[in-house]
Amino acid sequence: MAISDKDFELIRDFIYNICGMYFHTTKKYFLESRLSRRIEATRVKTYADYYQLLKSPRGTEELKFLMDEITTNETYFFRNIPQLNALETKLLPEIVETKNKMGFRKLRIWSAASSSGEEAYTMAMILLEKRSTLLKDWIIEIVGTDINETVIAQAKEGIYNAYSVRNVPDIYKRKYIREDNGKFILAPEVKKFVTFNKLNLYDDSKMIFMKSFDFIFCANVLIYFDMASKSKVVQHFYNNLQPYGYFFVGQSESLHGVNDKFKTVHFPGGFTYKK
Amino acid sequence: MNKDALLLRAEQLVDNTDDLPTIPVVATQVLQLLDKPDVQVEEVADLMLSDQVMTARVMKLLNSPVYKPANEITSLKRALVYLGLRHIRELALTTSFINAFEADAGAFEIASFWEHSFGVGMVSKTIASRIGYPDLEKAYISGIVHDLGVVFLSNFMREDFLAVLATIKDKPIKLVDAEIEQFGTSHCEIGLCMSRKWNFPEAYSDVIAHHHAPEDATIDPVLCAIVNISDLFCSVRELNYGGREWVSFNLSEEPSWEILKKESPSLVDLDVERFCYELDDAIPDVKDLVSSIFSTKE
Repeated sequence: MAISDKDFELIRDFIYNICGMYFHTTKKYFLESRLSRRIEATRVKTYADYYQLLKSPRGTEELKFLMDEITTNETYFFRNIPQLNALETKLLPEIVETKNKMGFRKLRIWSAASSSGEEAYTMAMILLEKRSTLLKDWIIEIVGTDINETVIAQAKEGIYNAYSVRNVPDIYKRKYIREDNGKFILAPEVKKFVTFNKLNLYDDSKMIFMKSFDFIFCANVLIYFDMASKSKVVQHFYNNLQPYGYFFVGQSESLHGVNDKFKTVHFPGGFTYKK
Repeated sequence: MNKDALLLRAEQLVDNTDDLPTIPVVATQVLQLLDKPDVQVEEVADLMLSDQVMTARVMKLLNSPVYKPANEITSLKRALVYLGLRHIRELALTTSFINAFEADAGAFEIASFWEHSFGVGMVSKTIASRIGYPDLEKAYISGIVHDLGVVFLSNFMREDFLAVLATIKDKPIKLVDAEIEQFGTSHCEIGLCMSRKWNFPEAYSDVIAHHHAPEDATIDPVLCAIVNISDLFCSVRELNYGGREWVSFNLSEEPSWEILKKESPSLVDLDVERFCYELDDAIPDVKDLVSSIFSTKE
């Protein structure tokens, strides 16, 4: 069943307003196919009926099922290229300059909701490449946190499948990843920069101790939170940043209306939030 | 560098160029006709119809998603009535500008230039509407013509301009700064000289000269600010001349944003994130429009 432009826009707006995730028109067919599974499961007849269901009191429950269909928990190395380019081209040199002036040569990065570690290790590789230039004699600390202990164990292990490493540029792959029987093993020199811990983003007593980060990443997690929790967690991130720090969310995500203190900084293909 | 020196240098460069494109005879005649106090739409239409390329482009512009007429407009007379006489001048200029720089002889693919220009036009119109700016078409046309000076550099200073583009590739260096370094002037002053030669209305010359510094605008700072912000947004989404310049901006620190917020305080509530995502969605429309305008032989 083909979704009409009108129904697509209604459902897209609904998802955007509740979750802060935007479905580009190019994703219309993807959304259509995932919605059709929910339509079958809920036994409504049309996309318009399904939209009514989402808006009804039963909608909160149904939205969880829909989110499971339209999001993926899989992550991979070098996932958000525009973000990484901006970091290398402008944001990192800017922060290095600021801290050099203060004589404070330590960089702290947090991958909040680090899952199996791909994002944190991507940062580690990028920064490692700058150890003899921009970051000479700098201390680098990368922290990955997740609520799920199984994925933390995987992250600590540092062994990945072909899907995870498919976007890794060759220069990094050659240096930092070794293939063994279809498994991709991360070099110890990358692993030693990153520590992984269990952390629940809702846990205020723990969140207040995550201090003094220059960059915080939290991609594709806040979309599952309701507005009040989102606000609270984002306020923690704000507090946990250095006064010149940056906070990154995932591609197609939006924090509009969640926190009015962050400033949006735009760069080619994306934007970030500046304290 | 001193602003007068930049302008003087631009005048030298433009004056020393022999084969500078001129605007078509018909466009000049249309402009003269429009100066007559009692001009009739029919007269203008008849004159424009004598230039088929201009007619075809006017029709395509009008039927594009940017103008969105309720029904397709198929006759030029109806088009001119729909548009109103005061906008014909602008349309004549726009189509002349397109004619003058049609060829792919410059430092970059001309289609990517027009996609940026029409993109900035479209976003300018959207922002103009959002802040209650009274003349949406003016905002649209301003966006289309703002980079007039860039085509001059690309076509007439090709090698040096390519060198400029190479020095800033993937670096956070502003194009205007690199141009001043290389040429002693920038596309803003060069565009201003050209727009004066072509007798563009002053408001457009103002935008061309000040779209990177709207706070210096003399005639319509709000219009310059609209085009400046639209230019920035297009430059960070995929209407960026194939990434010729690595642009980054903090909206809250942009003087143009201040100008626009003063004009329309509710702008602080703009969902900037969504604005970017919707801009992404509109890009295919802009590309289609540009390819339809340039595929015209009919």
